[in-house]
Amino acid sequence: MKLNNQIKFIGIIVMLLLARMVDAQILVSGQVLDAASNEPLIGASVIEVLSPPSVNPAGTITDENGNFSLLTTSSTPTITVSYTGYEDQTLAGSGNNPMKIMLAESSELLDQIVVVGYGVQKKSDLTGSVGSLKGKDLERVVTPNVEQALQGKLAGVYVTPASGQPGSGATIRIRGTGTLNNSNPLYVIDGMITQDASSVNPQDVDRIEVLKDASAAAIYGSRGANGVIIITTKNGSKNKEPKLSFSSYLGSQDVIKKIPLLDGQSFASAYNQLRNQEIYKNIDSIGVGTDWQDEIYRTSPIKNIQFGAGGSNDQVSYNFSTNYFDQQGILESSSFNRVSARLNIETKLKPWFTLGNNVSYALINEQLAPGVVGTAYRMPSVLPVYNSKGEFTDPTFFGLAVANPAADLAFKSNNHKKESRLLGNAYGEISLLKHLKFRSNFGYYVRSSTTRTIEPKFEVSASQLNKNDRLGINIDNPDKNWIWEQTLNFFKEWKRHTLGVLVGYTAEERKSDFFGASRQGFPGDADELFYLSSGNDTTQMNFGGASDEALTSLLFRTNYALDDKYLFTASMRVDKSSRFTPENRTGYFPSASVGWNVGREPFIESLKIFDRLKCRASFGILGNQALGDRYPTTAIIGTGQNSVFGSGENLNQGSTQLSISNPNLRWEISRQTDIGFEAGFLGNKLELEVDWYRRNTYDIIAAVPIPAYVGSQNSPFVNTAEVLNQGFDISLNYRKVGNISYNFGGNISPIRNEVLKLAQGKSEIFDAFINGEPATHTIVGQSIGAFFGFQTDGIFQNAEEIAAGPSIGNEKPGDLKFKDLDNNGIIDGKDRTYLGSVIPTFTYGFTLGGGYKNFDLNIDFLGTKGNKVFNEKESFRFGVYNWEQHVANAWTKDNPSTSEPRVTNGGHNYKVSDHFISDGSFLRLQTINFGYTLPKTWTNKVKIDGVRFFVSGSNLWTRQTYTGYTTEFPNSGSPFKVGFDGGVYPIAKSIQFGFDTNF
Amino acid sequence: MKNILKLFIVIPLVFTSCSEDFLDRKPKGNLTADTFFQNEDHAISAVNAIYSNFRSWEYCGLPFIGATDIISDDADKGSTETDAFYLAQVDNFLFDPTNETFSTIWNGHYRTIARSNIAINKIPAIEMSEVLKARLLGEAKFLRAFNYLRLVQWFGEVPLITSQLTDDQFFTQKRESKQNIYIQIEKDLQDAISGLPEKSKYPATDLGRVTKGAAKGILMKLYMLQGKYTNALTIGEEIVNSGEYSLMPNYQNIFSRLGENGSESMFEIGAVALQASIAGSGATPYNMVQGVRGVPNLGWGFNRPSDDLIKSYEAGDPRRQATIIYVGEVLPDGATIVQDNPEILNERFNQKAWVPNHPGLQDNGPGNIRLLRYADVLLLCAEAANEINNNQKALEYVNMTRKRARGTNTFILKDLTITNQTELRAAIRKERRSELAMEQQRWFDLQRWGILKDAMIAAGKNFVANKHELLPIPQTEIDLSAGNLQQNQGY
Repeated sequence: MKLNNQIKFIGIIVMLLLARMVDAQILVSGQVLDAASNEPLIGASVIEVLSPPSVNPAGTITDENGNFSLLTTSSTPTITVSYTGYEDQTLAGSGNNPMKIMLAESSELLDQIVVVGYGVQKKSDLTGSVGSLKGKDLERVVTPNVEQALQGKLAGVYVTPASGQPGSGATIRIRGTGTLNNSNPLYVIDGMITQDASSVNPQDVDRIEVLKDASAAAIYGSRGANGVIIITTKNGSKNKEPKLSFSSYLGSQDVIKKIPLLDGQSFASAYNQLRNQEIYKNIDSIGVGTDWQDEIYRTSPIKNIQFGAGGSNDQVSYNFSTNYFDQQGILESSSFNRVSARLNIETKLKPWFTLGNNVSYALINEQLAPGVVGTAYRMPSVLPVYNSKGEFTDPTFFGLAVANPAADLAFKSNNHKKESRLLGNAYGEISLLKHLKFRSNFGYYVRSSTTRTIEPKFEVSASQLNKNDRLGINIDNPDKNWIWEQTLNFFKEWKRHTLGVLVGYTAEERKSDFFGASRQGFPGDADELFYLSSGNDTTQMNFGGASDEALTSLLFRTNYALDDKYLFTASMRVDKSSRFTPENRTGYFPSASVGWNVGREPFIESLKIFDRLKCRASFGILGNQALGDRYPTTAIIGTGQNSVFGSGENLNQGSTQLSISNPNLRWEISRQTDIGFEAGFLGNKLELEVDWYRRNTYDIIAAVPIPAYVGSQNSPFVNTAEVLNQGFDISLNYRKVGNISYNFGGNISPIRNEVLKLAQGKSEIFDAFINGEPATHTIVGQSIGAFFGFQTDGIFQNAEEIAAGPSIGNEKPGDLKFKDLDNNGIIDGKDRTYLGSVIPTFTYGFTLGGGYKNFDLNIDFLGTKGNKVFNEKESFRFGVYNWEQHVANAWTKDNPSTSEPRVTNGGHNYKVSDHFISDGSFLRLQTINFGYTLPKTWTNKVKIDGVRFFVSGSNLWTRQTYTGYTTEFPNSGSPFKVGFDGGVYPIAKSIQFGFDTNF
Repeated sequence: MKNILKLFIVIPLVFTSCSEDFLDRKPKGNLTADTFFQNEDHAISAVNAIYSNFRSWEYCGLPFIGATDIISDDADKGSTETDAFYLAQVDNFLFDPTNETFSTIWNGHYRTIARSNIAINKIPAIEMSEVLKARLLGEAKFLRAFNYLRLVQWFGEVPLITSQLTDDQFFTQKRESKQNIYIQIEKDLQDAISGLPEKSKYPATDLGRVTKGAAKGILMKLYMLQGKYTNALTIGEEIVNSGEYSLMPNYQNIFSRLGENGSESMFEIGAVALQASIAGSGATPYNMVQGVRGVPNLGWGFNRPSDDLIKSYEAGDPRRQATIIYVGEVLPDGATIVQDNPEILNERFNQKAWVPNHPGLQDNGPGNIRLLRYADVLLLCAEAANEINNNQKALEYVNMTRKRARGTNTFILKDLTITNQTELRAAIRKERRSELAMEQQRWFDLQRWGILKDAMIAAGKNFVANKHELLPIPQTEIDLSAGNLQQNQGY
């Protein structure tokens, strides 16, 4: 934005400040707290009591810190403070000092306040579908990443960990896979918009809201179509006394399970079957051979220490935390450690003017293991790690060599990334008039990393070698982002009416750049020599690049409630994105919703069944920018298309237009409908929430295949295709407090994903090619990226059976028989069919908890049902690899198996078929947490408020039929390649011991 | 209050007016289609990019070897029994139009054509030296013609695209008659002949760019394909008489580093293995896919010279040994002996694609890909002369390659003296096979001679007449064309 425009903004703010000074009433301010917990109450209403009663009394609601300030008409006012679920309190207001008002919980369950885009709302007033989670629900999961901690917790939110690499994130799908490209939700961390939540320490999280429907998410316009995850970090707890907390845990992790592979003897026997001769003569002498999984996995420690301090005085509230997290990976040579600090401060400079600042800074050291999971799976177990000379074994004896994973770990793991992350926001809030607040928020996110990769000279085999020692330095600045939001908030409650209006405008910019250099040939192998300057300067290489984008938006939302029963919300966002040409740059994203608190109608109240009951419905249009490419409408000239000429074989620079671009590209559009109800029974101890939704995504941006004769290197992006996601989000919770407390809760999310339309002239998308054959097929009427291939029909037992057909042509006894679906007597491409979907028919999670005296127990389960998984690592064969244990039962003349084909090494039995597809359903004990709190009578003597010790376990038990480590293989890049187990870093199971103290 | 509200109306307007500048973002560090083709450097660069695609997997990788040598009687699939199953189907004529061999080569060749089209369309408007402009256009037109000649021989009628297609044309192309494709190829080659310099006129740093001689050589091939033998012989003799080319004395050296852009080279694609741990920017997969699999581990071991090929050599022809690597053989670099790989039965490898150990891994292939040799032109001269009953001339030409092959050994490959046209035709064809074996020529020759069926059946393949003479149009193209492209007969 140009400087003169910034000056204009500042000028406007100054004028607004002057404007409010003309008012001359007294200002009552204070804070509303829960009498029991001292927690601030967000959204409590504070209303001046006038005599005689006025239709328009002055009123406000408390902000997210429980603070309020109210301009009263009387100089000796009386105010009433009320909050759903709490007893009302009426008291005299004072303009001198901020008041501190303690509300006692009423017998009814307290009504929740939820954070929505650019504000907060009472849950009872909400007309949209929002899932909420408290920070303490996340802390049970041992992970440095908030995304992974969300798994299984909320209906309609499907989380799959990207991998077990320490520090890695997760792929999140809210209400299904909405598009053919980027289906990741938007993240909003204290107002800063980010692409993931990796920069937040889970223990700093106060609450998470997931905006699931159009009513809730449309305020995020062009980026709301995949849902929005709003993360609010802990703010200064409103205690007069500073509070300190200290907690720590220490744990031990192991790989979640091992894949059953053939041991040395069984491998030798299978290999003899493969070659049909006695290559291995004395099989018994071979023994178990090498367990390559044991060679790469280890038992590894995990540590976490958190210190926090928070408090407030009349003007300032603050919360400070610092955290040290250290996780050694279960795979050798992988680790993640992070030191982070956060300081959230809010200062009430004047009764009408608040300044705040949230900032977190983290330093991360990461070591990424080389890709050895797949090679450990493939290495024949007869091969030793080292040969007789003590060198790493060269596995080339078997033709095309697999890389020896132990050698890769030794030579390729000197790979260290140091990253710093600065994330925060600063804001000012001005009460302009009685009911009008202006807020300006500036958010920033800066990420910078340096990776050093040192690869020594080594030679294990002709394909596993490095002829020159090499140092590579990569400097990556993937985020240099800022956002500036100006919002004006009006809120007023009358006797029967409540009206809220939000208007705002925002501007944001995202930039990234990277730079890298390398040299080879270092004069020695001492650590201090591995800097670029000592390398051979004739081998130097460098590279670099940058990209940017910008977005400006206008936003508007209004909420209206009549008698707290009839609720209306409407919103509109207008986005302009730099990604599109000026003609297509502007998008309008409206939404409207209604709610009806039926429970407050006399005819329902008289039933005395429901403590609360609300119905709601919403409709809205959201967008998706969808692409990773920041300049999708511009045809870029591809470089590096070099040619070789001359007697000296010199490279001649070549460049040309390689791919077709589409300047007419527009936003993706998603039309979303939601109908839901919420009910509370048994004194609100039992709560049920059910939503039905329909997400219809139109104009999906997809790289649509064009005929190859066009000669484009890439398929151009066009607006095409339509995908439907339809399903239910159901959650049920019961809690009983008292001496013996217990609770249980569960959520289940059935979903149906269906492609409604594909590109013009393109009725099907084949992808995920394995051995040259597509393993997914996306067509109208089926789910995105459905598995595709031959259906097996047993095993050919003899030559006569093969001759009787149908067959492909080269089959031998013991080979898989495929179904001739078109009954034409031959097996060909037309006999391939739908083999199941990677999208679960439903996902679910449930929690059981209980407490008795000083003991507490909490158990979380999660699972999926109906999804399939493709064992890609088993289906890829280019040489002699190890086999999974089921191959020990392979067909032979003496063992006429009807399910396990003869031992082969590629070819017919490795065609893409359901032989490699397994049920991906699973049920996992995600966490189990058992705690003991020391009696207060002991701890109070040493001025400690509380000490709790706990032992917890993660992923200790899983039920699945699939042989792989886990059954979920997300792909954040392409929906056509999901569910393929190609050998990713598996997740760990772990046990932790720890304690929490407060003093 | 009213004034404040006014301000909030004004602010969005301010915001909108500045936002267009704020939102105007250009790709960083890249030329775009709008800023390219402004000067001479851009023109050269765009032409270089055409050559570059000849080194891509889609152009010269395994599918290409499959659709040339492996499909012919020169070679079997090779490698382990089950690796690259789709090529086993090609080898035995068990393929259907979904086989990736066909989509891959189709892709590679049309991409090269698209790059040529961009250069041919854009270069004329650039202000630059007219001589250089004519040369660059000549290069681009030659390269386009070369690709269409291959496509028309493989697939028959194909879409003839000579401009940059716009989005409304993407799905509407139809197959063009062979006759019209031939006309376009001839026109492009005539333009190339007039715009291109002879090989000797290029500076040493540009050695390897296409030449007048290369364009004449490919035009000669076109005439042979059309049965225009007189025209073919005329242009062939123009090449012979230009004095630009001569046979290398040692046959084996043609395919070594020595032979790269040597006296016999008329058109080849330069490749170089720069220091790299992965495929360098000048490398090809051509050597890797055909390299020895096992010990020494130089590649994937595809394209196994067939028994039929071995039998076809005259007794003692040293070209057999120079074409095939056997187990136990000492490789030309003298350093290594090929060992038996238990995973492959009777392995043999294509020596013409052999390169000594190179920096980095196997994919860093440094061997230039020979696409037109002088010996090829001489044998075509012999063939053309024989077809127009000039048997003396035919013998003169055919004996040139035999002479070179026998070297100083006068007991083998004696000069041919046959005068009967039919017998001489057979002898020339046999000589052509021995001279050009495993150089991806055989399939096209058999097709041109109209004897594919006999040769394939003799080699024991499941060849179906009136079907397999042409490869199938890739199924993906048929599917995408919404009825505009029809499949070849029999598929």
